[in-house]
Amino acid sequence: MIKLSSVTKVYKGAVVAVRDVTVDIGKGEFVFLVGPSGSGKSTFIRLLNREERPEHGTIYVAGKDIGTLGAWRVPYLRRNIGFIFQDFKLLPKKTVAENVAFALEVIGKPRHVVRKQVPAIVELVGLSAKMENFPHELSGGEQQRVSVARAFVNRPPILLADEPTGNLDPQTSVGIMKLLDRINRTGTTVVMATHDRSIVDTMRRRVIELDRGSIVRDQARGVYE
Amino acid sequence: MSLNPVYVLRETGQNLWRNVLSSAAAVITIGVSLWLFGGFFLFNYAVDNATARWEGGIEFVVWMQPEASLEQDDNIRTSIETSPSIRSWTYVDQDETLEEFQEIFADTPELTEVVSAEILPPSYRVVPVDPSPDVVAELASQFVDRPGVQEVVSADKTIRDIQNLADRVTRVFLVGSVILLTAATLLILTNVVSAIRSRGAEIEIMKVVGATNWFIRIPFMLEGLVQAVLGAMGAWIGLRILDDTVIRGLSQPDSLQLMQGFQVDRSEFYSTSLLVLVIAVVVSGIGSAVAVTRYLDA
Ligand SMILES: Nc1ncnc2c1ncn2[C@@H]1O[C@H](COP(=O)(O)OP(=O)(O)OP(=O)(O)O)[C@@H](O)[C@H]1O
Ligand SMILES: [Mg+2]
Repeated sequence: MIKLSSVTKVYKGAVVAVRDVTVDIGKGEFVFLVGPSGSGKSTFIRLLNREERPEHGTIYVAGKDIGTLGAWRVPYLRRNIGFIFQDFKLLPKKTVAENVAFALEVIGKPRHVVRKQVPAIVELVGLSAKMENFPHELSGGEQQRVSVARAFVNRPPILLADEPTGNLDPQTSVGIMKLLDRINRTGTTVVMATHDRSIVDTMRRRVIELDRGSIVRDQARGVYE
Repeated sequence: MSLNPVYVLRETGQNLWRNVLSSAAAVITIGVSLWLFGGFFLFNYAVDNATARWEGGIEFVVWMQPEASLEQDDNIRTSIETSPSIRSWTYVDQDETLEEFQEIFADTPELTEVVSAEILPPSYRVVPVDPSPDVVAELASQFVDRPGVQEVVSADKTIRDIQNLADRVTRVFLVGSVILLTAATLLILTNVVSAIRSRGAEIEIMKVVGATNWFIRIPFMLEGLVQAVLGAMGAWIGLRILDDTVIRGLSQPDSLQLMQGFQVDRSEFYSTSLLVLVIAVVVSGIGSAVAVTRYLDA
């Protein structure tokens, strides 16, 4: 599903954020990216949806070499990739339903599809009662659920999450992780960068550890360490 | 890619409304500049129409009476042919006069319908050797009271002054309109840029979920287009008023004789309107294209 060969990303100013990374992530896997601050986790994730492009190496996502993709095809690549941000990035003037619907509207989905899929996904994340609420009327955990709903409403085969629990307390984080686990069990590949030791240690999924841009550990059913 | 029209209209409307004051400024600037631009064309058409008779160095016209006899006509023709002060001349017969008349008054069928060739005066259009006003006046006066002559009209200094003045006035219109059009382009650009800036969060989400560049761009470009088209509509109304009051007013029968025919016919008016609309679309296209390529696709 995701395959990197000798990928190196150098930011201008000569910071090597990802260094000669080769890794293979299969369909339906759940992968934690761990490592100290500045080790390249966010860069790794941004390389996968072509927000960044590597200086060296090739990246395959969903069977396509995304390095050779024409700019006009990048949006279609991204329709296969849900993205969850640490700070939710909900649109403050839109309700829960509208925030989720937005993700479908802007890729040109017809209204009847939007009307059908939005309530279904909002129910999946357990927010049916808050469909018409605005983000500022929700708790952090609820906002993150909306953000998960928005990322998953189009049923992408891949979900990327950059510290999705970074702004949440441990209790709330567990709720979000249960949600991501459920989504993963439907066959969705999940790649998640995190600093949250207890989550990694309780979930026991594949762990890839980065240090100064290089993979220093790749462990099935791993722990945070 | 299917663009949902409800989505596009909503986004465009919100963009315009969010910056209603600067949108209004852009609309007004475009309107005034296009009005000046269109006015330049209308005035030029009107001046051309009014002075068509006086082109090619023709300095005076000897209008014959429609019922003048062949002999009277021969007489005048001989005088013109033999005069050493006349370089060239053309004879416009009654049928050609009717054509000219129908052209000038194309918009007034009441007039053209009742007129027939027989009641119109044929004429000699005369190009003298020396076009200086004194010489022309002296030469023209030789024909005034001759039998068969209805009237001698000379393109005296006034006509030339009017042509010069019109030239200068319209040039001011043109320069002013080009300057204002530049300002209008910049205003549209800034409006679109500020709309883009104020929607940074939406744009980020759109890109992440895979909206195409065109999908993201179109509401912004449409915003510029709406401003330009509204401006063009204002300019069009202004041009109607200019045509109905100033230009028609100048060509009223009781006004100056030499302003007869100072008018714009319908096809000239509509081609000017179309040009104004095209310029509006081009201006907004440039403004918003620069805005979206510089500030959106980065
Ligand atoms: N846009 C950028 N331009 C220049 N350098 C960058 C940019 N983004 C990240 N970097 C640098 O690249 C390196 C890796 O950053 P990255 O954000 O990928 O780390 P991270 O593992 O996500 O860190 P954190 O755990 O703090 O989120 C850092 O040294 C960072 O300063
Ligand atoms: Mg990071």
